[in-house]
Amino acid sequence: MYSGPVGLVNQIHDFNVHIDSNDVFWMVRVPDSAVKVDFDQAQASLQVEGLNVFDDHDIANSLTFGLGLPTIPGVAPVRAQVSFDVEWNGALAEADIHNAGQSFQGSFFSTVTTINWSAEEDEFQFQSEPPNPATNLISVLGHEQNGVFFS
Amino acid sequence: MKKTNTHPTTRRVFLGAMAGAGTALGAGLLSPKLAHADPGNGHAQCTLAKPIPGGVAPFAPFAIFIHHNPLNPAVALASINDPSQITDFDGFVGLTHIRGTGTGTNPATGATQSLNFQADMGFSQGRFIGIDGGQHEGTFAFV
Repeated sequence: MYSGPVGLVNQIHDFNVHIDSNDVFWMVRVPDSAVKVDFDQAQASLQVEGLNVFDDHDIANSLTFGLGLPTIPGVAPVRAQVSFDVEWNGALAEADIHNAGQSFQGSFFSTVTTINWSAEEDEFQFQSEPPNPATNLISVLGHEQNGVFFS
Repeated sequence: MKKTNTHPTTRRVFLGAMAGAGTALGAGLLSPKLAHADPGNGHAQCTLAKPIPGGVAPFAPFAIFIHHNPLNPAVALASINDPSQITDFDGFVGLTHIRGTGTGTNPATGATQSLNFQADMGFSQGRFIGIDGGQHEGTFAFV
């Protein structure tokens, strides 16, 4: 979240679940019902309410565990909760990928995506604007196999 | 199961190097307990999943290597990197890189402020081989 144009020097909040003990990046298990996929229609949704997260202030502090960078002061994380509804809705393009270098394959769509989300912590609350497909930069929906499932 | 990291600047290596340098700035933040801190969802102990081997180091040499391939609007769909953060995975994956605006509020004063956001979020849903070597099924949010 940014107090001006999107950019590190303007960032004032960064909500994420931190890297887990296995080094998996910013992933958290959620109920299966949180995700719905209609792959034939290139549609999917992710809906979660009241997820406990950290607010690391900015991406630099998140990836340095609060140490910051030479140009970004260190900041300790605070606890927060976020709720979000992300909708992948319809194919703009599609591609089948077989990438032996990265050992992944699958069918992928680029899609229009919208988001409606909110955040809450002790001294701050946020509510996003209504879902707006015009703000989508790039979104992907895929059915893939990687690692030992790659052939 | 012994876990291996193939990249020289993973989180663990980064923490070790910084602690070894005796840095005073934010030294308390370097504790593994906080690095793995669970925000309250139990994920630090039970994801079981393994990270993809690839990824990026956005602030090298100052920050960690992350096992994630951010979406790039300049890259054609057929040329994207693996969008999954989980390896040994078979299932659906969604990622989005999206911007927008919203309203921030100070709950103590009621003061509001228009703010911009950028969200990089997604999900994985399917089967995967966990750190225990067993096959599991699950749904993950990328937050």
